[in-house]
Amino acid sequence: MEQAALTFREVSAGYKHRKVLDNVSFSVREGEFVSLIGPNGCGKSTLLKTAAALLKPLSGVVELFGQDVHRIKPALRASLLGVVPQKIESPMAFTVSQIVMNGRISSIGRWGTISSRDHDLVERSMIYTDVLGLRERYFTELSGGEQQRVALAMVLAQDPKIIMLDESISHLDINHRQEVLQILMNLNREKQMTILLVSHDLSLSASISDRFLLMDTGRLVKAGIPVEVLDPALLSTVYNCDLRVQQDPYTGYLQVLGAVDSLNRRKNLNRSVHVIAGGGSGIELYRRLLIEGYEVTTGVLNRLDSDAEAARALNIHVVLEQPFSPVGNDAIAEAVQMIDKADAVILSQVPIGSGNLVNLELASEALKRGKTVLLANGIADRDYTEGKAALQLVTRLMNDGAIGWQSIQELMLQLQKHSHS
Amino acid sequence: MTTNDSEICRDNSFTGRSLINAGLRIVLFIAAVLFLLAISMLLGPSGIGIPDLQSPSGSAILSLRFSRLLMGLMTGAALSASGVVFQALLRNPLAEPYVLGVSGGAGLGATISILAGSGLFVSLGLPVVAFIAAVLTLMVVYLIASQGSSGHPSVYSLILSGVIVSSICSSVIMFLVSTASVEGMHNVIWWMLGSLQPVSSGQQLLSAALILGALAGIWLLSPRLNALALGREMAHYQGLHADFVLVVGLLFATLLAATAVSLSGMIGFVGLIVPHVMRAFFGPDNRKLVPLAALGGGTFLVVCDALARTLLAPIEIPVGVVTALAGGPFFLIILQRRMKQAWIA
Repeated sequence: MEQAALTFREVSAGYKHRKVLDNVSFSVREGEFVSLIGPNGCGKSTLLKTAAALLKPLSGVVELFGQDVHRIKPALRASLLGVVPQKIESPMAFTVSQIVMNGRISSIGRWGTISSRDHDLVERSMIYTDVLGLRERYFTELSGGEQQRVALAMVLAQDPKIIMLDESISHLDINHRQEVLQILMNLNREKQMTILLVSHDLSLSASISDRFLLMDTGRLVKAGIPVEVLDPALLSTVYNCDLRVQQDPYTGYLQVLGAVDSLNRRKNLNRSVHVIAGGGSGIELYRRLLIEGYEVTTGVLNRLDSDAEAARALNIHVVLEQPFSPVGNDAIAEAVQMIDKADAVILSQVPIGSGNLVNLELASEALKRGKTVLLANGIADRDYTEGKAALQLVTRLMNDGAIGWQSIQELMLQLQKHSHS
Repeated sequence: MTTNDSEICRDNSFTGRSLINAGLRIVLFIAAVLFLLAISMLLGPSGIGIPDLQSPSGSAILSLRFSRLLMGLMTGAALSASGVVFQALLRNPLAEPYVLGVSGGAGLGATISILAGSGLFVSLGLPVVAFIAAVLTLMVVYLIASQGSSGHPSVYSLILSGVIVSSICSSVIMFLVSTASVEGMHNVIWWMLGSLQPVSSGQQLLSAALILGALAGIWLLSPRLNALALGREMAHYQGLHADFVLVVGLLFATLLAATAVSLSGMIGFVGLIVPHVMRAFFGPDNRKLVPLAALGGGTFLVVCDALARTLLAPIEIPVGVVTALAGGPFFLIILQRRMKQAWIA
């Protein structure tokens, strides 16, 4: 029967002159894998300290398996709840096995006796975390990932029912992070260990957690399954920046992406540009144009094109067409509408074949409507149409007043020049 | 896990080569201790070698040497073990009785009681007064360091306020000495220079009891001291009454330092350096380190005292001078080679 392993009932907590947790209530069931997320300084560490009875709540109750955590004897508490801190530091040259033995400290007898159960638990947890081979090494000599596994072994040696990790894996490189996460997942699945992980890697946490707790400025904002909590609008408010959530179409994994560019974006120029691109030739352009402050639209692109992905990620309006099919009239009409709204149309260094020749015709349409049209030089090398149709079309456009560009830098200068004329 | 597995693991982890080496190292160390103590019994201002036991002066010399040996063992063991505990509790290689003002406070208490009292009361009261003064000093240091922090003082503010309080204590001692009578001044200065001149047998017995009791207490505390090496927070998570261990540890260490000061005055160096050297040889595990450091510190002081009496006989060099002058370079070389086994700098 699943019961609540850890319960917060209207808990407010903090330090002498500063309340950090504000009326937090939640419950973690036994065997659950829960990620605690939220921006720096929102009270995640304070929550862990309060759960581990290091901090006494100002009001409210913290319960560990139904008992008030402050009434549980320290030794018993250590057998229920283990905490892996961000980093453990041993100033003295303790060996790995001496460090792990600390996990049994609360059960070591008054006369310092170590029972065979203590030895067994220490060995077992060292095997589980794969640090038995390191047991005679000095803890401080180990790499960050190894140290974190040793810390985990030490906490496992307590034989706890819940493990809480305080950003213990954030500073590890991806390889060691996966290693530690794999151990945590095994503990959760094989030993039904309850795990509360404070994490900054939202995507990674989404892939392994049963549930998310989202905190902001000391309050619990949302609790639920990852897909509920990872709501772009909610996350963007809490983290105070533009965030996007994508679902991997193949695995269903959720990915949270930050749009860093949006922070650097200059103020809006009130000028818009339509980009004709494809095959990845547009990505750099989109980024640069957004940074320079242009409104950007793009298309027609096929749905699986990498430029289409990039445009979606950058929140650019994109005209799409199904892959492996000719560009239909609907798409063309939509693209023409966008060109109408744009001040300039840019053709990237996209290779032109019979499938996307229609895009060049869009450029021609734009020129007819009096737009500034900027075409990437070197079309001859990118022309894969029969009878060099693209080359002919481009030559005609250049004669009619389209402007050529070589580098993005040059393109930006041209755009500025023509936006003032 | 099957029993078979666990036996294999046990085999690997707990009877490996390193353990045999560690055992051998301890045996060699104890042999060296016995050898050095025996040598010290042969040294003295009256000459090198075993004195003529048939003559009354000969047996008197031998018994004097023996009581100085006991004084040295007690003082050195107390200072060294006290240093081990301070370093473990504060997780700082600079921690020792002097730095936290404990020695200074004990010195001030002892000075007052030497100047104020006389006779038996002084001799038996000295360790007690020194201890009370040391505890009061520690409390003052702790209170000063706690100001401004939320709850627990940081190690740095503890050490800083310890150094300040310590220098205030020594200034007050100087002031008391400068205003004292000639006889009182003589007594205090002699005592302050640090000397293993045997005190009354009553005081010796009381001090021995206090030191042995505190050593036993610290040894029982030693697995918990190990856990505190990872910090108070981690120790709490592991189910330790961290603050209790901290307070009890500090009290025992203060008792040791105060008793040592009341026995032999202000002898520096032992409490700071001997723990480091012993840790470099035997590792930081306090269960082994506490008894070994006590033995090592005691022996070191006995040897230094023997040298202090013999080198310029009949002049006796203050033992504190010998500990630093002779011990300093020797220990520096050891630490340079083996520091990695002790502290991670």
